[in-house]
Amino acid sequence: MPRNWQLDMPTPQAYWINRILFDVHHKPGHLEQYRRDPDAYMSAIPLPPEVKALVRDNEIGAMYLAGANPYLLRAHCLGLHISEATFLASLRAIAAEARDG
Amino acid sequence: MAELVGVFAASHTPVMLNFPDAISEQDRTAVYEEFRKLGAEIAKTRPDAVVVIADDHLHNFFLDNFPAFCIGAAESYQSPAEHWLKIDKHTLAGDTGLGAHLLGEALQAGFDPSFSMQLTLDHGVLTPLVLTGLSRQVTVVPILVNCVQPPLPTMKRCLQWGRMLGDAIRSYPRQARVAVLGTGGISHDVATPRMGLVNETFDREFLRLLGANNDEQLARYAAEHVNEAGNGAEEIRNWLIAHGTAAGARFEVQYYKPLPNWYAGIGLARWHV
Repeated sequence: MPRNWQLDMPTPQAYWINRILFDVHHKPGHLEQYRRDPDAYMSAIPLPPEVKALVRDNEIGAMYLAGANPYLLRAHCLGLHISEATFLASLRAIAAEARDG
Repeated sequence: MAELVGVFAASHTPVMLNFPDAISEQDRTAVYEEFRKLGAEIAKTRPDAVVVIADDHLHNFFLDNFPAFCIGAAESYQSPAEHWLKIDKHTLAGDTGLGAHLLGEALQAGFDPSFSMQLTLDHGVLTPLVLTGLSRQVTVVPILVNCVQPPLPTMKRCLQWGRMLGDAIRSYPRQARVAVLGTGGISHDVATPRMGLVNETFDREFLRLLGANNDEQLARYAAEHVNEAGNGAEEIRNWLIAHGTAAGARFEVQYYKPLPNWYAGIGLARWHV
């Protein structure tokens, strides 16, 4: 049975992933800070290093599986000018693992 | 008393503005022309205000506070919220009096919306207003429905909301002409492995049911099949609210075409109130 959403309710980990994606594109100066040094930008965020690495390295499919809200993920990638081809390929690569199958 | 002078619905997607060339020139020209036609029909109703039923794509609202329904009651709204959306900055005129009236009526009727007197509206409101040519002309009252972050309000509740909203508009104690525009959908996926798939069967059946005068069946179909149509299809809630305001008026599909390269089934429609 396909599902539209990876999570029916965000987990605490998903909250913090989404917190990063939201703040980077809505708080003045945050996009520049993030671009300059993503590790420093995320230093105070209570996420394990491997999850922060997914965000920093634009592992789009893995971020989706980890609970990133799709709209925030889409906006983040548009805001970082990640190509459509890269974006779609990363998502399609995790199709077998995703809840929407 | 106010008059409900028109009820309309249209798809929205930022791709229409950011990647217009992703579809053929023929399709693009046709879609833009259909939006202009819809704009002309809305303008013909000479609305003093347009109640725009849309969703906030996590710009005003976040996981720290996410209303299921929010009524705007601001004097004006900046738009777009997205720094990456390829469109000029707009200041949309608002109607505080109508917004406050709708809020009060909703609460009296047993609904519990939040309200906001400062919203920066995103592509969900702005794209259809721009493409219809109305973005610099109309006064708006936005109603933002959570279609983007589960848990979501039910389809049935959205139909109830629409019926309440139609009554609330008609009870506004001013000589005002009010139109309704629901935006979003129809089938599409945003940032999922299915992105680019369009479920034409779902779209056509949903459109058929909007005209079938059987709201129970409509709500059931929407709830039972939306997972086959993508997370973006959750925006059919906005169509259901528009449908509810029309209170059984005749429904007409103006245009529909599945456009996978715009990642969506694009639909435009109206109810003949």
